[in-house]
Amino acid sequence: MATLPHDDIYQLVREPIDMAALARHVRAPEDGAIVAFDGFVRNQSHNRPTLYLDYEAYESMALAKMREIGAQLHEKYRIHRVAIVHRLGRLEIGETSVFIAVSAPHRAAAFDACRFAIDTLKRTVPVWKKEYFEDGAVWADGELPPAPAVTPRAKTAS
Amino acid sequence: MPLAPSRITGYNAPVPPVSQTIRVKVLFFGRLKELSGHAEDSIEFADATTIEELFALYAARHPELAKFRSSVVASRNQEFAAWDTRLRSGDEVAFLPPVSGG
Repeated sequence: MATLPHDDIYQLVREPIDMAALARHVRAPEDGAIVAFDGFVRNQSHNRPTLYLDYEAYESMALAKMREIGAQLHEKYRIHRVAIVHRLGRLEIGETSVFIAVSAPHRAAAFDACRFAIDTLKRTVPVWKKEYFEDGAVWADGELPPAPAVTPRAKTAS
Repeated sequence: MPLAPSRITGYNAPVPPVSQTIRVKVLFFGRLKELSGHAEDSIEFADATTIEELFALYAARHPELAKFRSSVVASRNQEFAAWDTRLRSGDEVAFLPPVSGG
């Protein structure tokens, strides 16, 4: 595994996410801003009251994809440190499922990078949630990752 | 659709030994895990099998899987992979429903 640049954090956890600790971790004297995204469990889905959610992941690939997002952030934006943590297992209403914090010398880059990180995570990190209701459970509608349709020699991939 | 593997593709490729079998690890997630009845499998088949053909093997056993084919994405060794990717022994293939994390 390549050493992580900039003292970043990429984790899958089964315990509650300590958001304050992660924000402290990315904070450094040379920075001027941290932008954080706190994604948490909604109490309803398509107007049906949700009881709880259960998250599962293809863990090795999910971590690799989270690190890949981090590498893209450092490439694209003038930021300092990144923390991306996703929680797995059973989560109750209001509990944080994903937390992202980005520090930067100036706020614009931190806002842009944080937005890019959550949008990309939602499309490319192999995590799934099952929604539990009073009368049953369903796998949440997901997003299709931009996978190559055919090998590149046959068609242009982008 | 070509009737046989194209000569151009094969030009630089090593000639595969006749009737060699390979073993790969197969993972299913989310809804696909429930439909296939297992999270993980190990399977042996003829060399040069593609991911598409591998999925078809499972779809034949579990017809419910076939219905979701258009929304399934495949990965090979933790990287998204095209359906025509040829498998090698020791590969880890996963069939992934649309992701819904966050």
